[in-house]
Amino acid sequence: MCNACGFPAAPGHWTDAGASSPGDRMRLRLARLAVVNRLLAPYGLKAGDDGVTPGLQLHAPGGEWVLVPDLEALWREAARLARTPVDPLSDRALANV
Amino acid sequence: MFETRSDGRLPLTIVGGFLGAGKSTWLRHQLYTKSFGRVHVLVNEAAELPVDDLLLGRAERLDVLANGCACCTGRETLVAALRKICDAASGADAGKIQALVLETSGLADPASIANAIQQDPILVRRIVLVRTVVLVDVGAALDQMAEERLARQQIEAADEIVMTKAVGTSRLHRSRLVATLRNLAPGAMITWAEFGVETSQEIDPGAAPYSLPEPEDAPGPIQTHRLDARSAGGWWALSAWLSALLFARGDRIVRVKGVISTPAGRLLLQSVRHHVQPPEILPNDLRREREPDFLVLIGRDVDQHRIQRSWDTFVGVVSDGLPGTEP
Repeated sequence: MCNACGFPAAPGHWTDAGASSPGDRMRLRLARLAVVNRLLAPYGLKAGDDGVTPGLQLHAPGGEWVLVPDLEALWREAARLARTPVDPLSDRALANV
Repeated sequence: MFETRSDGRLPLTIVGGFLGAGKSTWLRHQLYTKSFGRVHVLVNEAAELPVDDLLLGRAERLDVLANGCACCTGRETLVAALRKICDAASGADAGKIQALVLETSGLADPASIANAIQQDPILVRRIVLVRTVVLVDVGAALDQMAEERLARQQIEAADEIVMTKAVGTSRLHRSRLVATLRNLAPGAMITWAEFGVETSQEIDPGAAPYSLPEPEDAPGPIQTHRLDARSAGGWWALSAWLSALLFARGDRIVRVKGVISTPAGRLLLQSVRHHVQPPEILPNDLRREREPDFLVLIGRDVDQHRIQRSWDTFVGVVSDGLPGTEP
């Protein structure tokens, strides 16, 4: 934990496992972002990761955006912004693919 | 049975089970045989009067949490007690305690206790949940499961089910009960104990499970979906998809188990409802044939074809232009 900003509050979300070297971690972040955006697209949302800011940025169509520390927070915020949970099994998610 | 972990975290065993299932009796025998090593026992009583601690004199240390069930009203007390133990275990007394055991009240949901520990920024670094043992009273379990949703939730959260008070029950009943429990907790190991002493019981493996009345909010029976993770586009795709799925449908997907290859090694993935345990890296055993990667979803009211389609759409296909591929 950074003693100035308190990030990360918990030692890695479970989705951040699976990469042990810094290179793998960066690859994991960027590759995962593509999949996250495919899941978010039917709900009109978009996630960004500049590789420098900790966590991910989640953007809503109206311009609102939030910084989220991990994927769990991302889906929680996405559910708030889209007013419905992003459900990979829903008709909406499976419609245009 | 116990060993010090290389990451220095204290292994925690949760002992659950419905009221009167025999939790204290079982635990007392485990303490007598010292199967947990030097253990700090926490006993949670939903009622005000702590009586069970009289039974458990063999523990190295013992705390009784007597103001409310640790999974709901007594949650803060539990977190505070665990923090205190962690504080003590990292000071001059480091190494004196090898393990933690939490005996839950008969009304606790083990999954929400695991969740409370996971959400605490201190405890998550100091404690690792190693297993959830749930005791089941052979005579009373069927009625409890039929009437109390909680009794089922406890069984669904179990890594190990200990069947108690089997003496005098019929072989047919035992066999059918085991089949019922296997439906609720397909991955759990089932053992038998009388007064805490491990016994064995003859059962008929082909017995038909009892049909339990479905609770109103849980339509459909529990089904198991096995997905072949060899076709996965990589851990990142799988973790993104699964985290979204569990957020949206964690109330329906009761359990997830899987082994997935990643650049850091093979990960063992486990969850109970919304809560995913931190994945463990499996030791690389070169002598044995590696089992192909898989993911098992156990849940209610989830359409097999829909899962497969969603999997193929978001996980199965390797997207173009992604940096790097799985080894």
